[in-house]
Amino acid sequence: MQYISNKAIDVYDLMTQYRDDEAGAVVVFNGTVRRQSLGKEVTHLFYEAAEDMAEKMMSEIITEAKDKWNLSSVFAIHRIGEVKIGESAVLVITATPHRKEAYEANRYIIEKIKHELPLWKCEFFKDGTKKWGGNCNCHEVTGDVNKHVYDLT
Amino acid sequence: MKIKTYAVLKDYFPHQADKVSSAKTINELREELIVENPSAKAILNISRFAIDDTFVDLDMAINGTEIISIIPPSSGG
Repeated sequence: MQYISNKAIDVYDLMTQYRDDEAGAVVVFNGTVRRQSLGKEVTHLFYEAAEDMAEKMMSEIITEAKDKWNLSSVFAIHRIGEVKIGESAVLVITATPHRKEAYEANRYIIEKIKHELPLWKCEFFKDGTKKWGGNCNCHEVTGDVNKHVYDLT
Repeated sequence: MKIKTYAVLKDYFPHQADKVSSAKTINELREELIVENPSAKAILNISRFAIDDTFVDLDMAINGTEIISIIPPSSGG
């Protein structure tokens, strides 16, 4: 399984591939590139990853979620390289017999991706500037860069 | 040792570089890097460190032969 890819994410094709007749609930999180950020017009995003680390961590996150919520199917992929407005940057699919577990597992996976995966986005703006993102500011609360807000609960 | 940096840290250090260091811990290495490039202090202070692709604490001992990745705050999604 490859979790980090420089190829476009075909959401509808993947949803078809991950059809699961054991599931009564399939939750899909599709993170897309929006046109506006920080009050400026975005032209595109560029994602970079420490790929070996990110692949290994994503595999661990998926396994952990699968065990914790007894998922009948689970899939996640994150794009790297240039991603255009409206395109999918990350896709998480979780399937379980009932919706509660599917929602919880999906949220867990995407939060782990945003906070912990060694993967970064750089926003490129129409005015010619760029900015590397920093989603995770948990250290401001936990006082430790290796601890995240959800580790406190 | 080999140092690998990513994302915004590449504005301050090479993406990959061999480094001769007398640092005995990750924390000492971080201090060396801050002395080398004081403008990187803020981002280094909120970055995580990994040895051979595994995250480690600042008090982890090093001997100069490791591959050390410096990981700024994640921003996937």
